[in-house]
Amino acid sequence: MEFGNRTKTQAPLPQNASAEPSRAKLLQLTNVSKTFQSATQAVEALAPSNLEIEEGEFVVFFGPSGCGKSTLLDIIAGFETPTTGEVLFEGSPVTMPGSDRLMMFQEHTLFPWLNVVRNVMYGLKHKREFRFRLRKQRETARSWLKMIGLEEFEKSLVHELSGGMKQRVALARALAPDPKVLLVDEPFPALDALVRTKLYADLQDILVRTGKTIISVTHDPREAACLADRVLVFTPRPGRVQKEIRVDLPRPRDINDQEVGEYAGRIMEELENPPDEK
Amino acid sequence: MKSEQANKATMVVALFYVLIFALWQTLFSVGLIPEYLFPSPVQVTKRLWELGADGYLLPSVEATLVRMGKGFILAAAIGLSIGLVMGVSPITNLCFKSLFLGLQTLPTAAWVPISLLIYGLSERGIYFVIIMSSVPAMALATSSGILQIPPFYLRAAKTLGTPWYAMPARVILPAALPAIVTGLKLGWTLGWHGGVSAELIKSTIGLGFLLYMGRELNDAAQVMGIMVVTILFGLLLDRFFFGIIEQRIRIRWGLEKRGG
Ligand SMILES: Nc1ncnc2c1ncn2[C@@H]1O[C@H](COP(=O)(O)OP(=O)(O)OP(=O)(O)O)[C@@H](O)[C@H]1O
Ligand SMILES: [Mg+2]
Repeated sequence: MEFGNRTKTQAPLPQNASAEPSRAKLLQLTNVSKTFQSATQAVEALAPSNLEIEEGEFVVFFGPSGCGKSTLLDIIAGFETPTTGEVLFEGSPVTMPGSDRLMMFQEHTLFPWLNVVRNVMYGLKHKREFRFRLRKQRETARSWLKMIGLEEFEKSLVHELSGGMKQRVALARALAPDPKVLLVDEPFPALDALVRTKLYADLQDILVRTGKTIISVTHDPREAACLADRVLVFTPRPGRVQKEIRVDLPRPRDINDQEVGEYAGRIMEELENPPDEK
Repeated sequence: MKSEQANKATMVVALFYVLIFALWQTLFSVGLIPEYLFPSPVQVTKRLWELGADGYLLPSVEATLVRMGKGFILAAAIGLSIGLVMGVSPITNLCFKSLFLGLQTLPTAAWVPISLLIYGLSERGIYFVIIMSSVPAMALATSSGILQIPPFYLRAAKTLGTPWYAMPARVILPAALPAIVTGLKLGWTLGWHGGVSAELIKSTIGLGFLLYMGRELNDAAQVMGIMVVTILFGLLLDRFFFGIIEQRIRIRWGLEKRGG
């Protein structure tokens, strides 16, 4: 099932998503930094950074471990408040987590007390247009399950799924509430390369079809080059955006393409040869 | 393979009980202890049969089970509510945790005298004992279960747009359910202990009452018979009701492998 060849031809889109990306500023971070204060010391996780993300962009954060990529995602998602600076989402400050800036975690975090389709319905429950409309919730959830090719598993329990299937259901659950931006923190590290490639293909496919804005974190330069419109390379601790690389390749891209490989090389080079600090 | 092993285990356990009864019967036959103090398994079974035929046994079992059931539901509602508040409010947890840990050190039967003082011989006193015996354990299990919820469930729920007021019902209680069920099971056992103790003194029907009557009549066979019945029902509910629910939940929550 997992590797089943889903047809690339259009399945009906669950959400209204065909709109031409208007390239408006969706997210604006000004001078954002984060210092974690513990009893004994202060850790500067993120040096003051500026960042703008447009609607419909796929942005990848790339950088060494501990440079604050997850911290920055947490700030955008509303889990952490920045020590300095301001985060504007659609023009208004971010104060708390919400399904318009939906985060996908490293772990699948599916709820074991719900079956697959109820997991996908979860985020719809509190959306105005879905509230108390169980049938509509279920139909939407089903169409997303279909999109990731797991519609036969809607009644399954979480512990009955393989690791790759769990991550795909988590993807469907994250997309169902139609977030304005999807924040993806290295979601597939525990999976083998084959499953991962497939998942990234799905993610790209969804991006192309829905025009969704996605911010993703990865350690793998090839993955970054394959997915991103823009790769932001971070400096080591305390992190800040050191370099921006635009990937001008047509989609869908294959992770094994030579051109993707060339971009991956450039990204890696940036990481290995940071410009001289003053 | 597996079922063969299981069969073997069942055989061994069955054999163990046969041995216990054989030992009991042998001890009786040797006649070291006077018969009126130490009846044989046959006499005990016979006495139970008589109690059943006279219409004492079944109504007593029923009365006790109904009492325990009602008391348990009340106690669970109280214990869960307090546990939930403790789980989400650190200061409440700090206060109640020490109190409940203290109350838990009381033997459940120690609630009987105070219930006699407050409620006299009335039925409500039995419920009081059941509730006081089991609420602390259930509240503590609920709160510690909530405090041990993996944070990623809460983060996922928040980013999926769950408002704070919906968190307990949609995430906190379900995520803590394995711990809560373990607490409910323990609460049931403690309530059962307390309830039977209270019945010894306060009731006119029930297993505890039959125990008490047996002692009044110097009927060791009745006392031992009712003890066996009490054990059987306790075990049945603990193992086969709560135990099975507990295991199912643990498997579904991914805390235990199937058949492990
Ligand atoms: N809650 C916290 N309290 C204290 N320090 C923290 C906390 N969270 C993160 N840090 C520190 O902030 C720094 C950045 O962490 P972060 O998790 O954002 O890195 P990352 O770029 O995501 O790393 P990785 O690629 O390994 O996931 C690290 O040095 C980490 O130790
Ligand atoms: Mg990280």
